[in-house]
Amino acid sequence: MSDKPIIQVESLTKTFEGADKPAVDGVTLSIHKNEIFGLLGPNGAGKTTTISILCGLYSASNGKVEIDGKNSKNNIDHIKQIIGVVPQDIALYQTLSARENLNFYGAMYGLQGKDLKNKIELWLNNFGLIESADKRLSTYSGGMKRRVNLIAGILHNPKILFLDEPTVGVDVQSRNVIIEHLKELNKSGMTIIYTSHHMEEAEHFCSRVAIIDYGKIIVEGSPKELISGNAGCRNLEDVFLHLTKRALRD
Amino acid sequence: MIKLLAAIKKEALILLRDRVGLAVLFLMPMILIFVMTLIQDSAFKSLNERGIPIIFVDNDKDSLGISIELGLRNSGMCTFNNMIDGKPATAEMIEKAVSDGKFLVGIVVPKGATEAIRSNVKVLVQQTLGVSDSLQKPTDSVEIAIYIDPITKKSFLTSVTSSLREFISEIKTKIMFQTFSEQISELIPDKNNAPENAFSQSQIIKYKEVYASKQIGEIVPNAVQHNVPAWAIFAMFFIVLPLAGSMVKEKSEGSVLRLQTVPTSYLVFLNGKIIVYIAVCLIQLALMLSVGKIFLPMLGLPTLVIGNSILGIILLSVSTAFAATGYGVMMGTIAKTEQQGAIMGSLSVLLLSAIGGVWVPTYVMPELMRDISIVSPLNWALNGFYELFLRGGGIVDVVGDSLKLICFFIFTMVVSLIVNRYKRKV
Ligand SMILES: Nc1ncnc2c1ncn2[C@@H]1O[C@H](COP(=O)(O)OP(=O)(O)OP(=O)(O)O)[C@@H](O)[C@H]1O
Ligand SMILES: [Mg+2]
Repeated sequence: MSDKPIIQVESLTKTFEGADKPAVDGVTLSIHKNEIFGLLGPNGAGKTTTISILCGLYSASNGKVEIDGKNSKNNIDHIKQIIGVVPQDIALYQTLSARENLNFYGAMYGLQGKDLKNKIELWLNNFGLIESADKRLSTYSGGMKRRVNLIAGILHNPKILFLDEPTVGVDVQSRNVIIEHLKELNKSGMTIIYTSHHMEEAEHFCSRVAIIDYGKIIVEGSPKELISGNAGCRNLEDVFLHLTKRALRD
Repeated sequence: MIKLLAAIKKEALILLRDRVGLAVLFLMPMILIFVMTLIQDSAFKSLNERGIPIIFVDNDKDSLGISIELGLRNSGMCTFNNMIDGKPATAEMIEKAVSDGKFLVGIVVPKGATEAIRSNVKVLVQQTLGVSDSLQKPTDSVEIAIYIDPITKKSFLTSVTSSLREFISEIKTKIMFQTFSEQISELIPDKNNAPENAFSQSQIIKYKEVYASKQIGEIVPNAVQHNVPAWAIFAMFFIVLPLAGSMVKEKSEGSVLRLQTVPTSYLVFLNGKIIVYIAVCLIQLALMLSVGKIFLPMLGLPTLVIGNSILGIILLSVSTAFAATGYGVMMGTIAKTEQQGAIMGSLSVLLLSAIGGVWVPTYVMPELMRDISIVSPLNWALNGFYELFLRGGGIVDVVGDSLKLICFFIFTMVVSLIVNRYKRKV
């Protein structure tokens, strides 16, 4: 772990227009290079909103975001070059095939020619999609779409990868494949920010997690630290239930 | 550049897989051209055929008879005669003369025809205005005898009878409006404001405009000359349906969101769309023009005459394509759902086309509608094509309309970018 965090978030607040409460409420985070950072929380906690601000989709109402040492407000073009985003909702062309989708998005990241072609083949292979690569996406199963959705965000081998619930609605087999490949990408130097409802997966996958509820970070640390730090908790799910339940009562 | 090519490829693929969209873009306008041209052919044809020997007897010696004679003489659609073998023709002589093949068509306007129409119309008008008691009944209708040589070719026949019928009904209408305005001016003391003038003027202008050709007499308007460019323009603007549809779909499918995270400007992406749809527009136009050139003549319809300014056609086509594409992008940016885009898009194009003179040429519209028609970009495009196809104009004659269309494109782009920026702000 290097000293200077690759992502530095300070007192980040976001109140949507017309909303009475902020969706993200004073979040402060430091994520270091090569971490797999998990942002965990119940529905509506503010995970997607936080990630969307980090990758420049939403503007923050308040607070500061620094990515790769640069303020995100005036360096969005640089930041876009080094990040990859895998949205929570499938964001692909349904009437195009997987290969056509990836060709297009790859080109939008500046990839081209043989390089692009090879990368697409590699990832379609890794995720068992080669055989259906030329079929229209609308004929794919939910799990297959999710895998293509993931590939579209990692084709260009970004420095920082944002994953918003990449394994939701995916069976155990492909879940394992996805996690394994993400771990490999991380080993080769990719910083990963990840959200999930799946506590067991997060426990094994993440080097550090933060639990967020009502837009506020409740607790932060490595899964091990959190489990041992909360009496009577045997795993991350216990910690999660323990903390978010209590937060509800407050 | 690579990015732009990828965007173009993506857009083209999406369009190619949109079967309904393709049908709307290519099939619908072709069908419309066929149907509308066939329907309107006879009405236009009256202005087109020429040289048919016609023998005419006027026993009326009043408005109707005189107008028909004048109309036949001036229209140039036939060779006008009122003498048979050097003797003034009579109703009795006509039937024999036609069956002898001296003339293809004989026309007899009976005595008192105008008067009969007048009194008929007067009763009707009075009843309509509620001036008279409704006990009066219109007298029998006026009968104009038309003798036709049985060996006359069928196309000649329909052409002559329909043009005659049209001519007569027009005169009837004229008389009706005269009577109408007379009746009204009796009701309204201020005679200057009576609607009579407006109507008769608009009728005169109709013919004047139609015959205003730079190569006098060579190109005469017919159903083909109007319908082919009109529906081609309509089809080009109808790209709003697939274009706005695909843009809204991109929003709902999340692609737009993802595209906001890539290091590529939205403009590159938009340009890909614009290029594809401009190409589509030009293909549409080429297709419609070849329908007019090749397929309509096969149905016995006149061949499309496209004038002699290829540069003019190219300039006008490209400008129209830009305007149509810009309109689609604007609708796609404004619309929130696919349904909204489809309804807003198709209804607005229908409206703009009706106003712009696609369905009914502006020169037969009432003056008020003609003034309104100039707000429709479809009207600018259509005017340009009239200039080229009917009046034999050149590139300079369509610069004005093309400029207007390009300005419209710039306007739609500015609106789209502003709306897009506003919508993206979250
Ligand atoms: N575009 C938006 N406009 C208004 N409110 C929004 C918008 N997006 C999210 N919200 C609200 O902000 C809050 C946080 O939503 P967010 O999507 O960040 O939650 P999440 O943690 O990702 O939930 P989930 O696990 O269900 O994906 C919710 O109350 C949601 O209703
Ligand atoms: Mg979410």
